[in-house]
This record gives sequence, C-alpha cells and structure tokens, in this order.
Amino acid sequence: MRYKEYNPNKVLEKAIELFWKNGVNGCSINDLVEYTGVNRFSLYNEFDNKLGILYASFDLYRDRFCKSKFSILDGEGKLIQVLFEFYISFLNNSNPISGCYIIHVGTELADTDMVVKENLKSYLKDIESLFSKLLVRHGYSEIKSNFLSKHFIGLYCTAMSFCLIHTREEQKKYLLNGIQLILSNHG
Amino acid sequence: MARVLNASYNDLIERAQEIFWIKGYKGLSVQELSKYLEVSQSVLYNKYSKDMLFTGSLDYYTNTYSDPFLSQLRASNKGLESLKLFFYELIDALKNKTFPKSCLMVNTIVELRNENREVVDRYDSYLEVLKDSYIVVLKKSYKLGQFKKKECIDNYADFLLGIIFSMSILYKLNDVPELRKYIDEQLSFII
Repeated sequence: MRYKEYNPNKVLEKAIELFWKNGVNGCSINDLVEYTGVNRFSLYNEFDNKLGILYASFDLYRDRFCKSKFSILDGEGKLIQVLFEFYISFLNNSNPISGCYIIHVGTELADTDMVVKENLKSYLKDIESLFSKLLVRHGYSEIKSNFLSKHFIGLYCTAMSFCLIHTREEQKKYLLNGIQLILSNHG
Repeated sequence: MARVLNASYNDLIERAQEIFWIKGYKGLSVQELSKYLEVSQSVLYNKYSKDMLFTGSLDYYTNTYSDPFLSQLRASNKGLESLKLFFYELIDALKNKTFPKSCLMVNTIVELRNENREVVDRYDSYLEVLKDSYIVVLKKSYKLGQFKKKECIDNYADFLLGIIFSMSILYKLNDVPELRKYIDEQLSFII
C-alpha cells in the first residue's frame, strides 16, 4: 500500500476554514486544491467530490472545535454563568472564524441538501440534550428542562447569527438578557 | 446582450435580488450573475458592479418585503396578539416559499458579518427599524395590560429581535405547528 502524502484530517481542517470563510458555493475544487495543497486527483480519490469533503468535515469540526465547548455545559458554577460561557466560547477566538460552522453551512445549504439538514438537526439535538441535563442538575423538572432547552437552542441559533456582528459588549448584553428572560419563565 | 440597452437599473436590481437571495454573495460569481441577468460581463465590470447590485438588492429587499410587513405591524393594535400574527406570517412565508430562503438580511449577516462597510450600514438601519417597530407594539401591549414589567420593554425588544434569526434556522428543521408553538412560547417570556 502506498503511503498517503497528506493527512486527510489536515485537508479537512483547511477545507473547514475555506468553506466557512467563502461559503460552500463560494469555493471551487480549484480553490480547495490551492488552499489544501493536495492535488485534485487525491482529493477526488479520498472524498469523491466537493460535497464529500464538506460532509466529512462535519465530524472533524465537532471533534476539533466543539468538544471542549460542549464540556462547558458539564461544568459547575452558577447556571447563568455556565450558559453564558458556553455561548460566548463560540464567539471568541478559539475557532478559525467566530460563530458556528454547522449553523453557517446550514444557513447556506440546509434548504436543499438533506445531508446538511440532517447534520444540522442532530447537532442541535445533541446540544439540546446537554442543556436539558444541565437544567436537571440545577433542579428543574424534566418537563421544564426540555421546555427551556428548546428556547436555549433558539438562543444558540441567534447567538451564532445575530451576535456575529455585535461588539464584545453587545454580545454579552444580548446573551445575558436572553438567558435571564428564558430562565425567568417559571410558569 | 442587446437586452441591457432596454433593461433599467431597477429591473436589473429586481432580478439580481432574486439570485443573491438564493445563492448568497460569495456563492455567486460575476459570470453566473451576468448569465442570470442576461447582460454581458463587461457591463458588470464597467457599469454596474456586483457590489453595487448586491447593496441595491438589500435595499430592494428592505423596501419590498420588510417595510410593508413592518408598517402593518406598527399600525396594529392588538399588542402581543399582533406580534404573534406577524411571526406566524413569517413562518408561512418561509414554509410556503414566498421567500425562497430565510430572510436575506439574516443570511447576509451570517455570510458577510462585518466585512463590508456599506453592507453593515444596511444591517444597522434594518435592525433599528425592526427594533423600533417591536417597541411600538410592546408599548401598545403594555397599555392593553398584557404584561407588567414596563421597565423591561427595551430588553423584550432585544429578545424579539432574535426571533427572525432563530427562525431562519429552525424553519428548516421544524413543521408549522412546532414553529407556531415556539413563537407562542417565546412571547410567553414577556411578563
């Protein structure tokens, strides 16, 4: 067997950056060849086509960029603070680009591409169940936790779109306001 | 090619807006744009640039889709009930594809963030009008006795601003009854 002259994960990391920066429709295979430094033949051989690269990039994104952020929701501390830290972790500089890659690609393609849509759905479901577990640990009933989690997902979607154009201060104000409003509903 | 002589700038903007809404800004090459508009690429390089047509499209979107919708909301007099109907209409527009995709302004924010000054100016005025419309309705709602915390009106308006953003993702995944329920619950946070 021939050794590969490139590391597929490195290719995917680069592809994530490019898709995130220019949109999926905004990058051609040529752009990917140029940016990853891997020739077209090898890319096609490994991933079939541009969409193959995109689909393969989702798992790497979650593994590389989301794990540590998701673990914030397992942490101790005041509920409002834990939630705030979680949201803001996507907006600080630990990502190639601020925000969420899955939301970014979903905004562009989930209307027409079923793989993107299913990926977006399962990604948000996973976060929603982490929210629920967190709320249960903080003493909310299961029903209440599920209700609130749905709205914390809504806030996640907003944070990963609206908050992208905010200053740091505006993000803080917006997120804390949202978290507090949702939690203040004890009905 | 001959068509450009007859096509007015407004016609071009109207067509450009259709394709930008579907493809986004970066996802649309000048070549594709020229094909869609049926004008030569040299016109797009020399007369009407892609950037110019894009900002024109955002203005067209605001004037055509957003403003009439918001004037109606501002003139409403049922407070939270009017807001609910406003968001229900948005759900219908998204679901039955009156809108080809989620709000053009929201898509643009996700795609371009603060990369282009002219575009950022358009977000600012769009969001300002939107927030102000929510405040108008919230004030009426308060007078109707629909909620108690008058001091929270500004916070509530900020919270409501988020709805078009969250809906822009959630409509892709949920059906109409789920989305309506989500709206009802969001409005129940106004107390």
